[in-house]
Amino acid sequence: MIRYEAVTKRYGDGPPALDGLTLEVPAGETCVLVGPSGGGKTTALKMVNRLVEPTSGRVLIDGRDVASTDPVILRRGIGYVIQQVGLFPHLDVAANVATVPKLLGWDRDRIEARVDELLDLVGLEPGTYRHRRPEELSGGQRQRVGVARALAADPPILLMDEPFGAVDPVTRARLQDEFLRVQRTLRRTVVLVTHDIDEALRLGDRLAVLATGGRLEQYATPAEVLARPATAFVADFVGAGRTLRRLDLLTVADALVPGRTTGGGPSVAPAATLADAMAALLTSDGPSVPVVDGGSVLGEVTLDSIRAALRESQVDVEVDVEVDT
Amino acid sequence: MREGKRLAVTPLLLCAAAVGVVVWAHKGADVSELGVLATGKLALRVREHLALCAVSTALAVAVAVPAGVAATRPGLRRLAPPLLFVANVGQSVPTIAVLALAFSVTGIGFRTAVIGLWAYSLLPVLRNTVAGLAGVDPAVVEAARGMGMSRAQVLRRVEFPLAWPVVVAGIRTAAVVNVGTAALATFVGAGGLGALITVGLDNQRDRILYTGAALTALLALAVDWAIAALAELGRSRR
Repeated sequence: MIRYEAVTKRYGDGPPALDGLTLEVPAGETCVLVGPSGGGKTTALKMVNRLVEPTSGRVLIDGRDVASTDPVILRRGIGYVIQQVGLFPHLDVAANVATVPKLLGWDRDRIEARVDELLDLVGLEPGTYRHRRPEELSGGQRQRVGVARALAADPPILLMDEPFGAVDPVTRARLQDEFLRVQRTLRRTVVLVTHDIDEALRLGDRLAVLATGGRLEQYATPAEVLARPATAFVADFVGAGRTLRRLDLLTVADALVPGRTTGGGPSVAPAATLADAMAALLTSDGPSVPVVDGGSVLGEVTLDSIRAALRESQVDVEVDVEVDT
Repeated sequence: MREGKRLAVTPLLLCAAAVGVVVWAHKGADVSELGVLATGKLALRVREHLALCAVSTALAVAVAVPAGVAATRPGLRRLAPPLLFVANVGQSVPTIAVLALAFSVTGIGFRTAVIGLWAYSLLPVLRNTVAGLAGVDPAVVEAARGMGMSRAQVLRRVEFPLAWPVVVAGIRTAAVVNVGTAALATFVGAGGLGALITVGLDNQRDRILYTGAALTALLALAVDWAIAALAELGRSRR
């Protein structure tokens, strides 16, 4: 668990880069720090591994102030991924991944086994890639090696600073999928920085929206940020398409009208998103889309039922808020 | 690989050229010329010359590399401009003047010549060390620190290996320039191949003059080769 307590950072006499940030990232969750540049996202991230020290306030990991731990020791227990990756160009892939285990003094067999395991995990065949040099890899492959390197010593915490910012959109989407897959099995406590709201909504269990000047505007789940932006700034940042984005977070099952269906044409599965259902509805001739699960018809989805599901999820969020506070 | 081939062929060519020079020097030489150009005498001059270059370059490396490292540490960056200024002065004052100045302190001999050559070769080593370390991708350094390397580990495992080719280039420049400049060492009585050149000039013996000049040139090429070979060896071993 990571906890920020009234953390402020000022560089020189200027306005704060981060202004009284207080938030808590529960263990095993992904917290995305999102916002325009100048919002102090990276500053906040780097305070966890003490690459940046707060001007006031403190950062706690599992209840312990990071300032009380030697930064070198602290960092060996925290995975760190940056946008430019920063692979060591004079070392091959295996040696790059083995960096932290070597610093920790693991024996050679253990390091080798771990390197292969990690390359498998990030989808790089060890036999092919172990002895490649960074310059021989594509941008996406480099980023995978970067992630493998960060995970090498099995750190409970992972810090990712715009990890998918430097690759093309197709590769980025694939890397995001893989991140979600890996994170579902590993359940690390992740703090991820991005300026891309779509990436934030996709990857985060929680979003911390930071405005210019380092003010925290909202800290909530993606569904809540979309349904109930806390401030005008958040609403503006999330953008006009937020209702459409919400359809991505709800499934057909949420809007299912059980029973028979009058609709023909394209059908959808109950696990599909409401965005898929909406698309099917727009291309079908009738007012409803059949919901089919493995051959049996469960019911249908209509424009009214989708509208109701959106309304209902908004109510759910309100209830959540009350429980939270 | 082509570099490797070049490195293997160069010493053979240099040896052949050196033998050729000696044979030419001895062929038809009169007694007084032979007195200066005997193989044993030539070998002595080459050894003197090499010793001057080796000691002065080694001392320059021993001072300029740590100074370059210091000048690129955060917190000590302010040191870089004054250090480079001092080294620039050492470089731009003519060597003969540095030798004369050193002569007034340490008198005649090897030590004086070494001081002059040392002052002259600080700049290329220092400049390249600073440039090499400053040229390391900051993202790589940040990743290294973020993974829990101490500053010393970042320097030893990441920064220095990456800066190494540039540092070596500086040492190579310094050493090769030193071979040429060491020909002046004869003016402070430190011998070397420069002695042949001055004897040849003073007595209007072209044979002696040309032999000294040719051997100096060959020695510069040999030193250039040796440092390149050492650097190549160091790189392939990593």
